[in-house]
Amino acid sequence: MTTLAQRPISILIAALGGEGGGVLADWVVTAAVGEGFPAQSTSIPGVAQRTGATTYYVEIFPTKLAALGARRPILALTPNPGNIDLMVASELIEAGRAMQNGYVSPDRTTLVASTHRVYATSEKMHMGDGRFEDSRIVRAAARLANKSVLADMNRTAQASGSVINAVLFGAMAGSGAFPLPRSACEAAIRARGKAVEANLRGFAAGHDLAAGTSEELAPISAKRAWRTTPQARLRGAFPAETHRILEEGVSRLVDYQDAAYAELYLDRLEPVLGLDSADDDWRLTAETGRHLALWMSYEDVIRVADLKTRSSRFARVRAEVGAKPDEPIAVVEYLKPGLDEICAVLPPVPARALRTLVTRLGLADRLNIGMHVKTSAVFGFAVLRSLAALRSWRRRSSRYIEEQNRIEAWLGEIRRVAAHDRAAALEIAECARLIKGYGDTHRRGWENFRRIFATLIEGCVPEARLLAVAREAALADPEGDTLARTLTELTAAPDKSAANLAPPVESRLARAGE
Amino acid sequence: MERSFKEEVRSLRLGEGETFHGEGILAVTKALLQSGVSYIGGYQGAPVSHLIDVLTDARDILDGLGVHFESCANEAGAAAMLGASINYPLRGAVTWKSTVGTNVASDALSNVASAGVRGGALIVIGEDYGEGASIIQERSHAFAMKSQIWLVDPRPDLPTIVRMVEKSFELSEASHTPVMLELRIRACHLFGSFTTRQNRAPQLSRKRTIAEPDFDFGRICLPPATYAQERHKVEVRWPAAVKFVREHGLNEVFEGRLAEIGVIVQGGMYNTVVRALQQLGLADAFGAGDVPIYVLNVTYPLVPDEVAEFCADKRAVLVVEEGQPAYLEEAINAILRKADIDTRLVGKEVLPMAGEYTGEVVLTGVARFLEGSAPAGIDLVKISETFEGNTRPKRIAAELLGAAVPARPPGFCVGCPERPVFSAMKIVERDVGRLHVSADIGCHTFSTLPPFNIGNTVLGYGLGLASSSGLAPNFSKRVVSIMGDGGFWHNGLVTGVANAVFNRDDGILIIMKNGYTSATGQQNIPSSGKNLRDEPTDMRIDAAVKALGVKWLRTIRSYSVATMARTLREALKSKEPGLKVIIADGECQLARQRRERPLVAKQLAAGERVVRTRFGVDDDVCTGDHSCIRLSGCPSLTIKTNPDPLRTDPVATVNTGCVGCGLCGEVAHAAVLCPSFYRAEIVQNPNWWDRLVERARRAIIARLAGGDRRSATT
Repeated sequence: MTTLAQRPISILIAALGGEGGGVLADWVVTAAVGEGFPAQSTSIPGVAQRTGATTYYVEIFPTKLAALGARRPILALTPNPGNIDLMVASELIEAGRAMQNGYVSPDRTTLVASTHRVYATSEKMHMGDGRFEDSRIVRAAARLANKSVLADMNRTAQASGSVINAVLFGAMAGSGAFPLPRSACEAAIRARGKAVEANLRGFAAGHDLAAGTSEELAPISAKRAWRTTPQARLRGAFPAETHRILEEGVSRLVDYQDAAYAELYLDRLEPVLGLDSADDDWRLTAETGRHLALWMSYEDVIRVADLKTRSSRFARVRAEVGAKPDEPIAVVEYLKPGLDEICAVLPPVPARALRTLVTRLGLADRLNIGMHVKTSAVFGFAVLRSLAALRSWRRRSSRYIEEQNRIEAWLGEIRRVAAHDRAAALEIAECARLIKGYGDTHRRGWENFRRIFATLIEGCVPEARLLAVAREAALADPEGDTLARTLTELTAAPDKSAANLAPPVESRLARAGE
Repeated sequence: MERSFKEEVRSLRLGEGETFHGEGILAVTKALLQSGVSYIGGYQGAPVSHLIDVLTDARDILDGLGVHFESCANEAGAAAMLGASINYPLRGAVTWKSTVGTNVASDALSNVASAGVRGGALIVIGEDYGEGASIIQERSHAFAMKSQIWLVDPRPDLPTIVRMVEKSFELSEASHTPVMLELRIRACHLFGSFTTRQNRAPQLSRKRTIAEPDFDFGRICLPPATYAQERHKVEVRWPAAVKFVREHGLNEVFEGRLAEIGVIVQGGMYNTVVRALQQLGLADAFGAGDVPIYVLNVTYPLVPDEVAEFCADKRAVLVVEEGQPAYLEEAINAILRKADIDTRLVGKEVLPMAGEYTGEVVLTGVARFLEGSAPAGIDLVKISETFEGNTRPKRIAAELLGAAVPARPPGFCVGCPERPVFSAMKIVERDVGRLHVSADIGCHTFSTLPPFNIGNTVLGYGLGLASSSGLAPNFSKRVVSIMGDGGFWHNGLVTGVANAVFNRDDGILIIMKNGYTSATGQQNIPSSGKNLRDEPTDMRIDAAVKALGVKWLRTIRSYSVATMARTLREALKSKEPGLKVIIADGECQLARQRRERPLVAKQLAAGERVVRTRFGVDDDVCTGDHSCIRLSGCPSLTIKTNPDPLRTDPVATVNTGCVGCGLCGEVAHAAVLCPSFYRAEIVQNPNWWDRLVERARRAIIARLAGGDRRSATT
């Protein structure tokens, strides 16, 4: 009689609702039963499966029923920490969760996980960047797993025209920790009879992944390459450390307005450079340059119309929505210009006049006209194209003048503070990050920026630390409650930034904002 | 229905000595047929929805046996079905999610239990306690005790579960008492196998109907009969049950080497205890081990003699009883005291009073029990080392990860029709301020989670409106109540709407009409248009609401965010007194996709012209503020690393999961967000006209199009 296994092989599958984790568990059990092994699986479906994190737990007893006679192993319904042989996760954070729950142990666990990210709501809804640091999970996996198969199996699935659970199944089978032969797994896929060919392709791809690379880490989606168009003046006047950002800034502004505008950009940066030093790689210049370029290329109707009517854009859209070359696509834009957008392109005087009139009529908020512009059709395209053509007119627009004032005020403070404390000046530069978006979003961002400016910066030598705290607070909630609370706390605190506060009314910035 | 059980149904036909492979709840269903039930009823709810779903697909089998099956209006209706077993030797079974379902059913249950039954009456309850539960955490045990219904908690392996179902009917008939069979979530979805027996056609059924009605005042719940029934419970039925449980060996004892200690465990907890012992090296793979275990497959009533016998010669005994109050521990203590046995009973002092008994929890409890009782013949050092080793990785992980990974609670599906309603509400709240919203049970309860955090209270299924009746008169703004169409028919129609109209309450009710009880797997409800037998039903929510006298009624397409927001503002400001009802009309996207995907696939294969809609974000226009996400939370509206090297914050992006429901655009408009969203209509299998127009457009646009001016230099 064959010797009996000491204990079952325990497999925990962590997936997201709707990813087919249930099907994967069924495949595993079917394969095990097919091989004549006692197997059991449990899960916690129901409402837990509505997009949330869910798990499936399978135990396989690696001695054939035939050899067991009347005896039956007692198989557990819940996974135990330190007791998992094969931990499978369909996404990186879920692999992290598994480790957090103690399901990955060095002496025993093989970890099979996809390194792609499906961001959690808490990460997505953050006003800045709320993403969990992926590298922490990868590092932890290297420490905790006995063996690991880490790869972007989502990409593998797409490449093989399959689904992720099939790829995971293949990776499990190829991981070496799985007690069943490849043939049994493939038989299980066939037995289920759904999308057999696609699933077998995915399985094969996953199997190769596991057999080949065991530590391939998916590159965190690479950013667009930095451009390096030779830009004489920049190269001459600014240190190399700053080129990466400043060159991007220059070309951004040429693209946004014209060469002269880019010259203005450099004119504005030179004095900052004068106050900066090589000790910290000219960071003040570089970061000011980053935010200045973004601020100077503020998003107005002209800019949006321009971006939406570029030949490069249609190619991008086609790719994004996965349209085949022969498939015509209609592209519809959701635009809702209102009073602000109209006034923005008018010169200051008529803009002010229109605003007062409309406000008197009480139409200020009701003027927004929802438009569905079909940029794939000639007329719609022509409309946006002609709006884009207003670029040459931009310098006369009220928004342009307003933004330039605001920019100068901001730069002024950076220069003033840089003379005493470069770190604080850098923080002031960083504050520009708060100003983004359109309509209410932009107004709110500007308000936060202005409050921080008036409370912590103007008329005093601010503390870098406090500015950082305030900036984080501004990104904590859209209502600005956290910022308000933080500012009162900071100003209440007995430190010098609180000692000599300038009342917002006298604020140059505030005036610039009117 | 979300899931088809056409495959599984075949296993319900299995005959004598064949092998069934499948889920626990399907095994129970098969066991019901093997027990010769005449009728089955219930109300869907995880984890027992599948019992109803599978029977819905098994109609012909049921018809063949003459078994009557219906899905009831609610659990009270299901419990009342058991009335059939009071006067007649009809075996019947009903099922629901517990404890919530048992709460709803308890009126009928008390009466059935008091009258007593002639035919075996079985209540299969899904004990929704612990991980994956969607309801308040309570035990069903108290219902068994208060109404005197026997509670069966079988060891979670299919042969035992099936045997216990069959025995439950005998127990019920032997003691004239209904029996509850309790299955925890994981046991319901436990995939295993057992040897089947032939299905039994019931003695009395739709085929062999009852000839004469039986009248017996003793079975009627009216004094003085009720007094006699109450005495009969304790004088006759209880002793009969105890006798049956003992004689048929429903509880089990597994002997062990360490005779001076032992474990008493609820049947459902057995495997978890054995696993803990296996990990500590005190049991082999087959459960044969060192520690004696007394398994209570019947947790109510207890069998005092068995308990006494098991404990008599032991120094210490551990009671593994999930949840609180510790009914079993207290009862066993009482039994020992009365029998004058001084065995030390250990329970909630080493195991948590509340919460699910997961493997980890039980492992810890067992280890602590062993340390405390320190029986001769075990190496405590080795045990504590093993225990340490098993729990160490968790601590290391905590250090390495630095922070807890983001939580991922369930939420609205891609394209869910309920999400836009809350987007609209959030937009309205921007100018009217936060509202008090009485939420209800259903997928829409996800509104209480980020990014919406809408919903201040949840009082129970269909009770959204009723739970506003005390608050509304005392609130400065109009209170908004939510109700799903499932909850509406479950009891909201009367408890909520009728009550509000009757009392002339002023308030706003939003009814989510998605067509099914979606959270439980899209079972049909009166307003679905069809019943479970696919027979047309002509029952409409709007008609029902009007008939009750509601004057202010609007039906809005749930995806029309702007219209929904306008209507909500109107309802909030309206001078008109009384209940204002808004029906948010949008079919469950899961159901819709399931219906349409195959059709579209067919059309595409046939080369027919199909237009596919997808939404997208221009990443150079998006500034990465994520307002759109805070107003949606759609899984397919996500973020990606900003391709703009100057920007650091991630930008919004729409992934391939998008079903083109239109919410993104609606929100961008209604909330005046930003112009970065676009809708793309992709024409698959274009006809010659599509191609011609496309070619012409491209030609002209190519001339007009702007290029990238970045190549210019300074």
